[in-house]
Amino acid sequence: MAEACQVARKQDLPPPGGYKPIPYKRLPAKQLFSGYTMFAGFLGITAVSSYLYYLTSKKITKQEIEMRSAKMAIYPMLLAERDREFLKQLRKNRDAEAELMRDVPGWEVGTYYGERVYKNLPPDTLVQPIFHEYYAHCNPTDWFQRAYIKLRS
Amino acid sequence: MVITNDVKLPEFAELEVQEVNLPTSILMAASSYIGKQCECVNNEFMLCRFESNDPRTCVDLGKKVTSCTLSLFQNIKKNCLEEFVQYANCIDKSSGDFSLSKCRNTQRIFDCCMQEKLDMERPDFGYFCRTRVHSSTSASPPPEPCPCKPKYPDATPSLPDDHPRTPARYGGRAYWFME
Repeated sequence: MAEACQVARKQDLPPPGGYKPIPYKRLPAKQLFSGYTMFAGFLGITAVSSYLYYLTSKKITKQEIEMRSAKMAIYPMLLAERDREFLKQLRKNRDAEAELMRDVPGWEVGTYYGERVYKNLPPDTLVQPIFHEYYAHCNPTDWFQRAYIKLRS
Repeated sequence: MVITNDVKLPEFAELEVQEVNLPTSILMAASSYIGKQCECVNNEFMLCRFESNDPRTCVDLGKKVTSCTLSLFQNIKKNCLEEFVQYANCIDKSSGDFSLSKCRNTQRIFDCCMQEKLDMERPDFGYFCRTRVHSSTSASPPPEPCPCKPKYPDATPSLPDDHPRTPARYGGRAYWFME
């Protein structure tokens, strides 16, 4: 133990000539643009892109008008077809309800035991039924397909 | 359901006509011509439909609309089938929403054919979005059957017409103007 302690030790000292000076001076990045140039560039780019935006929005508006025009042209035909199908389905629903409630005494179709839903309207008024009534007698699959059409398309 | 036995619904046989069984791409391709050819019938139908707000009253007009569209498609099929199919195919496959702007070349060919064979011109841009005046021959709908709000005998009488109306003293008559 004592011999080990007698090994000549080398003290940790600075390199000959001393340490290099610490570089504490600020080194700013190279300046490519001055402030005025950057403002001018911002304004220039904004102006050009606004013009391009204007051109594109005009084009998109034109396309939208064209599509709307085409859809409005075929709308009456689609509506006529839809109306016929709607009226057929209403009759089917009414017949189905009459068949379903045949054995219930006092039941009148479209009413609650003779009490009408819309009492102030004339009896011949066609009130469009809500979705659940319209699809009441159909296959549940069709109900789901129509109710969640947004999820499917 | 709200449909009682008193509501007169048309029979199934009255509603049976030949329908236009065509996909959207074909309808969109022919849309301008459909609208132009059947403009009068379409306007009459839509007028009836929105004035009465009742599909039952406009079934006959609706049949006319459908038959007019069908006759146009039969004409196209007889005269410009190839050009039309090409155009409709382009519309079907060029975009997700049947955009007409993607198919100008095929549209030009189809338009030329329609101009030559059927003497029909494509209506100008946005024609069906514009307000157009339709002079109808049908009678205007009857007014509301009753004044459905009852008149109360003790209603507050309104200010007589010859009462002097002075301007507000402090610039307004809203509730925070303390007058």
